[in-house]
Amino acid sequence: MTGVDPVRHVLFRAGGERFALPLDSVREVVIPQSPFARVPRAGAAVRGAMNLRGRVVAVVDLAALVGVGSETLQAGRGQVVILDRDRRSLGLLVAQVFGVGPLRPDREEPPGSMVRGIGQIDGGAITLLDPDAVAAHSAAQFGQG
Amino acid sequence: MVSQDLQRYLGLFVSESTDKLQKLGQGLVRLEAAGRGEEPLAPIVDEMFRHAHSVKGMSASMELEGIKEIAHRAEGLLDHFRKTGDALDPASVDLLLAAVDAMTGMVERSGAGENPAAPAELLSRLDAGVARIHGGAAPAPPRPETPAPHRPTPAAEQVPLGLRRRYTIEVEVAGTCPVPAVRGFLVLKKLSALGAVLEATPAAEDLRAGRIPDRRVKALLESGEPPAAVEKALSQISDIATVQVKEEVHHPTPPPAVAATAQPREPEVGGRTVRVRVELLDSFLDAVGELILATARIREVGKSIPEAVRPALDEGVDRLQSAVKDLHDKVMTARMTPLALLTDRLPRVARDLARRVGKQVEVEVEGAEIEIDRAILDELADPLTHLVRNAVDHGLEPSHLRELSGKPATGRLSVSARRERDRVILDVVDDGRGMDPEALRQAAVARGAISAAAAAALSDRDALQLACLPGVSTADRVTDISGRGVGMDAVKRVVEAVGGALELVSVRGHGTRVSLRLPLTVAVQPVLLVRVGEEVLGLPIAKVHGAAQADTGALERSRGEPMLPYDGGLVPVRELSALLGLPRDAGSGPRQVVVADGDGARVGLAVDALLGQEEAVLKPLGRPLDLVSGLSAVTVLGNGRPVFILDVPRLGP
Repeated sequence: MTGVDPVRHVLFRAGGERFALPLDSVREVVIPQSPFARVPRAGAAVRGAMNLRGRVVAVVDLAALVGVGSETLQAGRGQVVILDRDRRSLGLLVAQVFGVGPLRPDREEPPGSMVRGIGQIDGGAITLLDPDAVAAHSAAQFGQG
Repeated sequence: MVSQDLQRYLGLFVSESTDKLQKLGQGLVRLEAAGRGEEPLAPIVDEMFRHAHSVKGMSASMELEGIKEIAHRAEGLLDHFRKTGDALDPASVDLLLAAVDAMTGMVERSGAGENPAAPAELLSRLDAGVARIHGGAAPAPPRPETPAPHRPTPAAEQVPLGLRRRYTIEVEVAGTCPVPAVRGFLVLKKLSALGAVLEATPAAEDLRAGRIPDRRVKALLESGEPPAAVEKALSQISDIATVQVKEEVHHPTPPPAVAATAQPREPEVGGRTVRVRVELLDSFLDAVGELILATARIREVGKSIPEAVRPALDEGVDRLQSAVKDLHDKVMTARMTPLALLTDRLPRVARDLARRVGKQVEVEVEGAEIEIDRAILDELADPLTHLVRNAVDHGLEPSHLRELSGKPATGRLSVSARRERDRVILDVVDDGRGMDPEALRQAAVARGAISAAAAAALSDRDALQLACLPGVSTADRVTDISGRGVGMDAVKRVVEAVGGALELVSVRGHGTRVSLRLPLTVAVQPVLLVRVGEEVLGLPIAKVHGAAQADTGALERSRGEPMLPYDGGLVPVRELSALLGLPRDAGSGPRQVVVADGDGARVGLAVDALLGQEEAVLKPLGRPLDLVSGLSAVTVLGNGRPVFILDVPRLGP
């Protein structure tokens, strides 16, 4: 157990696992807005670009990015977590957001990795993600070759 | 480390002192204009002195000794010139520039929680500078008689009763502000300097305790000041999202007979103003964009309903569309921002660079009051800086060479803007050595951008435009300033992405003019929509020469590429699907080929279908989409589909 105070996180499922992002790194959660435009020469985790109230947002499949399978993009399925501040043009496709709650990592990972640590909720494990690293890994999926 | 107590005011300190230092720097540049007799000297020096004094005071109260020490000496130096009325000598200007730069860096570091020490070398140079102008001992700067910023004067003593006004004031602190209660407290403090605060929600004690529900402060103010003064006072506080000032219609105390002898009220010119956060303005535009799309969608759906009921719907949609258009125009007007925001810092940029490379430059800015959409203004910041740096670094010659060719030793650089119908023309002109079309031809051929034959066929005027190709530069040395050949093409790309055009005119030995023709507002541009597989992509019509149908398999090939006879020449044809890594329709019939401006020459792009032309609102690409090469912007069609706009020269071979 570390001494840090718990931080409020957005909790969601993706690729059959549970993940969390700090609440203050998330702007909003929306349903995927079809039709998506394919992004030229993008990596395998990129699902495309979607129109969100006139703004165009790149959508990256979080499960594929982290390497735990991938979500299927279907009408009425899944949700897109839009990141905040200078990352408002990036959305993460997840299976379902199931809540917001205080979390504290039980085990800390080295910086640079997308995983900040593992936390516990309802007696089960949940992976705490680092928003900076997730954004950096997402950016690496664009402009390839 | 800044002490815990003061930590909460750090943000305020950083923003205010940065602002003062910037003004101090601008003052130094204006001194040059004063030196040419274009502006009186004394008010500038006076203003600079007050800025230095404010920085000293603010840094002292933040216990930032290092910044205070430098500000103290800068103030002393300025005080001398303020008192004597002498013009500043170049050595003192240099010293003050160095002091402003050092303090700016230190303020930034203090924002990150440091308490930086003053560089000893700078302090001793400043001491020596002060001693030199005083012809000996360095006296301490005097206690200045500057007006205290928060003079707590009870308004009752100042204002005749009959002129009192009551205002209800509501202020919302920006959501991004980490300490909203401190801002709220500042609001009350500012207001009490203007008059009597009769009511406040939350009360001052609550604010001091950090309580500010909804980030809002409401207050009832009685003051003799006109509404504009109240708004102005509030607008000086940073991190405020919105300000509403309403004057109560009924005066609580009816004006007695003395009112007749009182000064007439200033006529209020123009409307009242409120401050609105830029992000809020952006979100208005997004919301209006959504309304335009929704209207277009209703119209499309309307086409499929029975004829009998359609006229009523069409009429409704027409009215909706004109109302939305009206709203769009108003939002656009609210977003107009003067060019001064960009051009104000250019003289300083040019001067700094000129000193570094040992040249002399005089900068003239004209038409800075012309307004342009904020989104375009934001995009222009880097290109404009680049053009100015280019002009100073490569355009202007060193003084001795200028004199040899019969020019004044000091180079001239002018940045001027003017309106031409719905365009703003922004010219960056230098009187330097000009560009050499022959050198550009050679550089472009050496880079492999065009063939030697094509280069030779270009007119001199067209050859100059080669400077805008990626990687082409005639600079004989690469500096950290410019000349890496990554400059002009980037400038051109940004200008075209906002719907503008760039033109280069240069006369050897006489100088260069770069003209940017810019739209006033975010561009609505005609684009050609094409289909590749299931994807729709857009090409700016301005880049398209024409289209043809061709059986690419049957065309003659050169270096493996099918060559399309077009307009008396041959154009290489490339599959757009292959360039973009997208799937295309199966089959091998004839293809639609769009002929467009490529990397210095025309190129044919084979697509599955041409879908027609459409007026599109282009939006810049946000991160990470801006990392994808070959895309310049994005637009959204009436059915909500995002469509990428292609940057043909960067599609790659």
